[in-house]
Amino acid sequence: MYAYATQVSQQEKVISGAFAFGMHLLFLALLIFGVTWQKKVEPQANVVDLWTNLPSQAQPKAEPPPPVVKPEVRPKVEPPPPVKTAAKPDIALKEKAEKERRLLEEKQKEAKKREVEAKAAQKQQQAKEAELQRQAKEQQDAQNKIAEQAAAARKSQMDKYRTAIREKIKRFIVLPPNMQGNPEAEFDVIQLPNGKVLDAKLKRSSGTPAYDNAVERAIRKAEPLPLPPDPALFARELNLTFRPQE
Amino acid sequence: MNVTHDMSVWSLVTGASVLVQLVMAGLLLASVLSWYYIFIKVFTFKRAVKQTDSFEKGFWSGGDLDELFQRAVNSRGGAGTLERIFESGFREFTRMRKQPAQSIGAAMDSTRRAMRATYQREMESLESHLSFLASVASVSPYVGLFGTVWGIMNSFRELANVAQATLGTVAPGIAEALIATAMGLFAAIPAVVAYNRFAGDLNRLATRFDSFMEEFSNILQRQS
Repeated sequence: MYAYATQVSQQEKVISGAFAFGMHLLFLALLIFGVTWQKKVEPQANVVDLWTNLPSQAQPKAEPPPPVVKPEVRPKVEPPPPVKTAAKPDIALKEKAEKERRLLEEKQKEAKKREVEAKAAQKQQQAKEAELQRQAKEQQDAQNKIAEQAAAARKSQMDKYRTAIREKIKRFIVLPPNMQGNPEAEFDVIQLPNGKVLDAKLKRSSGTPAYDNAVERAIRKAEPLPLPPDPALFARELNLTFRPQE
Repeated sequence: MNVTHDMSVWSLVTGASVLVQLVMAGLLLASVLSWYYIFIKVFTFKRAVKQTDSFEKGFWSGGDLDELFQRAVNSRGGAGTLERIFESGFREFTRMRKQPAQSIGAAMDSTRRAMRATYQREMESLESHLSFLASVASVSPYVGLFGTVWGIMNSFRELANVAQATLGTVAPGIAEALIATAMGLFAAIPAVVAYNRFAGDLNRLATRFDSFMEEFSNILQRQS
């Protein structure tokens, strides 16, 4: 039947073949389902903002104006001047003089009183006006401060937006091989609200036409340009500057 | 640039150049064949060890040599290696003993030669395909490396056309090329392990056969 004792039977051959095939199927399955070499590259480059100190979380509220302290107006009442007593020749005269003197004194007193009252009123008035002015000024200051902060926030957002666009474009710039120096090219880019580039005009050449062309190609390749997080910040026209080494 | 490199295994294989694909196909074939022979050898050695065990048990339990010979002749197909060695030796010995002119020394020499011949034939059968495993084990890493080198050469040539070479442009080509090395190792590692294992098994069996032949010769010499 067999020439050798260790000759392989047909059955063994079939089984071995099936095993070998199965082995490879198993490895293939492991390779396909076990290992996913899918590599997804994030299209956005990381733009890093460097902060020297952390911005305050909440916008500082305008401080309520301090309670108005009304300065107490103390009308100064001057003590009446000492009455000069004249020599009295006789009683009638004395009486008359006395009467006249009293009258005069009263008149004087009244005049003084009026004067003092008027003065006090004037003082009060002045204090009130000063207080009002102070309050108005404070309010104005607070408003200015808020406006300033809003403007700064807007500016930083805008800067971020512009930086994102520039970063994206810069990634597409293929530097010409014989680039020398670090000249600046300025472009006016007009974009559609969806980030498509409508036009890229060279405003100020870098002096190297090859670099200008490279930047222009990069601007067109960078479509769609990144959009700002706040649609209100979208700028149809952008003025962008590029340098070969930044 | 929305780069989403499809790095699945299949795309790496299909994306490679023709020569690298040929190399990969060759390596896959080598791998399949070597696994096929590995399984065949596993079966063969298992059977050989089992048959040797059972024959030695029967032989050393003190049976009659004529009876053992008759059984070996009758079970012609299913006889193991050791049984065949015994059969050829015993046949030669009885044949020589029938001729009265022959001395005992000549008869023993003739018996030994007959057993040696059977032993050689059987060993050759046991050894078959082991050299293939050895070749796969030693050569397929080099073949895979060749595919990789070729693929990387190509990917670098393409790289020359790109002004700015980023990792993104280099990586896929190299990954494609490295697949060939991976396949070479994939084919080689099982072949190496199996070859070492089978070579050890073969050595053990050969020693058993050798010692049996010596002992059997002694028995025959004592009997005559």
